Amino acid sequence: MDWLEQELKSALARKDPPPGFAERVGEAIDRASPGAASKAGPIASRRVIAWPSRVAQRWLAAAAAAVILMIGGGVGYRWHRGIVAKRQVMQAFLIAGGQLNHLHAHLKEVSQ
Amino acid sequence: MTATVLEPPAKTALDFAGLMHQHQAMVFSVAYHYLHNRDLAQEVAQEVFLGLHRNLAGIQSPAHAAFWLRKVAVQRSIDEGRRRMRRPQVALEDVAEPAVAAAPGDPLLGEILRKLIATLADAPRMVMILRYQEDLDPMEISELLGIPLATVKSHLQRSLALLREKLARRGLGER
Repeated sequence: MDWLEQELKSALARKDPPPGFAERVGEAIDRASPGAASKAGPIASRRVIAWPSRVAQRWLAAAAAAVILMIGGGVGYRWHRGIVAKRQVMQAFLIAGGQLNHLHAHLKEVSQ
Repeated sequence: MTATVLEPPAKTALDFAGLMHQHQAMVFSVAYHYLHNRDLAQEVAQEVFLGLHRNLAGIQSPAHAAFWLRKVAVQRSIDEGRRRMRRPQVALEDVAEPAVAAAPGDPLLGEILRKLIATLADAPRMVMILRYQEDLDPMEISELLGIPLATVKSHLQRSLALLREKLARRGLGER
C-alpha cells in the first residue's frame, strides 16, 4: 500500500454520526410503528425529547406561520366588520333621526 | 400469561440497539463520503436503521446484519445521490488549491482527497469508499455492488491514477 492509499484510508476513516442520532432513529421508529419501538428496547426507552429533524422543523415553522396568519386575518376581519357595523348603525340613526324630525315637523303643522 | 408468550424475545430488542451502536459509524460514513453532505447522510443512515428495524426478524446473525446494513447503506446512498443530483455540487474547480503543500496525515490533504473523491463518477466513487473506508477487497466489492471483478479493479486503478494526477497538478505528488 503506497502513500496515496494510506492517505485515502485516513481521509475515508469512519466517522460517528452527529450526537442524538440514536434518539432520532428511535423517534422515527416510534412514528413509523407506534408501540413497536417499545419492543425494540433501550433506544426508545432511553429517548429524551429530541429536537425535531430539519424537515420537521420546516413543517413546524410553516404550520406556525399559517396559524399566525389565520389568527391575524381573523382578528383583522372582525375589526373591519365592527367598523362597518358601527358605520351602518350611525347611518341608520341619522336616517331615523331625519325621518323623526320630518314627522315631528309634519305633526306640528297639522296641529296648528 | 399467554400475552407474555406472544411477545418477541427480549434478545431481539437488545440486538437492535447493539447493532445500531456497532454499525452507525459505518452506515453514516458510507453515506457521508458518497454524498458529501452531513445532513443528507444522516437522513440516509436513519432510513437504513429504520429498514433494519422493520426487517429484524429476517436477520439471522450479527454478520448478516453487518452485510445487510452495508448493502442497504450503499444502495440508499446511490439512490439518494441520483435523486438529488448531488454530484455536480462538488465540481473539480471547487476543490481548494492549497496555499502550502499538505503533508501526509494533514487534515487539509484529507479534505482535498474527500473532495476529489466526491468529483468521481457514481460507481468509481462507491468502489473507492468501499475499498478505503470499509477495507473490502475487490472481490467483496464486486459481490456487494453486483458488478464484475474486472470492473471493480479498473475503477480502482483509474481512480487512483486520476487522484495522483490531480494531486500532482496541485503540487501534492508522491513524496
